[in-house]
Amino acid sequence: MNSKAYRLVILSLYVAMALILSYVESLIPLPLPIPGAKIGLPNIITLVSLLTLGWPLTLLVVIARIFLAGFLFGGGFSIVYSLGGGLLSLLVMSLLLHFFKDKISIILISVFGAITHNLGQVIVAAIVVQTTSLLLYFLFLMLLAIPTGLFIGITARELMRLLNKTTIFSKLNLPQNK
Amino acid sequence: MKKNEIIIILGLLASCLIGIAVFYLVRATDAPLSVRVTRQGTVEAIFPLSEDHTETFVDALGSNTLEISDGTAKIVEADCPDHICVRTYPISSPGETIVCLPHKLVVEVISSGESR
Repeated sequence: MNSKAYRLVILSLYVAMALILSYVESLIPLPLPIPGAKIGLPNIITLVSLLTLGWPLTLLVVIARIFLAGFLFGGGFSIVYSLGGGLLSLLVMSLLLHFFKDKISIILISVFGAITHNLGQVIVAAIVVQTTSLLLYFLFLMLLAIPTGLFIGITARELMRLLNKTTIFSKLNLPQNK
Repeated sequence: MKKNEIIIILGLLASCLIGIAVFYLVRATDAPLSVRVTRQGTVEAIFPLSEDHTETFVDALGSNTLEISDGTAKIVEADCPDHICVRTYPISSPGETIVCLPHKLVVEVISSGESR
């Protein structure tokens, strides 16, 4: 199998796994009075994909996951908010990875990703309802994003450690893998 | 994870908590409070927070029922798909908000002086 086809297989695997995690996440609402708070399970896949495939292909994974999850288990408008959050968080995580590649751990990237995901969603929401009074709401979301981001980051790190022991990524020939 | 990363995370956590504390302290006021209902930037209604009141807001997108009782405001019923506004904690301090994204409705507590 050539490496292009192999990459496509890995890519579709990521989309499928992210979609399943989105579904699992929609089944477990956090018992908190902060609306819209989520664990961010699909971000595990976004992180792994970012580390193995790079940002252009991860962008595809994120967009495909958001649209599919939006149509399957969310309302139509939830896509817009997810896109705002997902794209901003992907942008920030890619930039962090690009500029501080050896100095930053995947856990910290995950925390920043979680915070900026909320930031993106709040910005889109503020534009849609035309209000500027969502700052307090964002601070509460951010407070929650730090522990969930830590959890997701640790999970992604362990997953990467296990996957690197296998031969799945050896055919990808990407510089991110040692 | 390195030591300085733990410091960054603790710093983020601290700035977040300080932000929330400052928000409540700056907004704290003795003036009587009101509840303002806004739809897409236009003010629909303003109620005093001290009086019990229930009102349903209906428009082409759907309806939300606002209930004010014991100095707190909350959305008790809505026909939006996600019911996020219904699950939001009751609001009572200035600056707190309840947002119904599908209906583009914002409910916020304001001090009566800034009602316009």
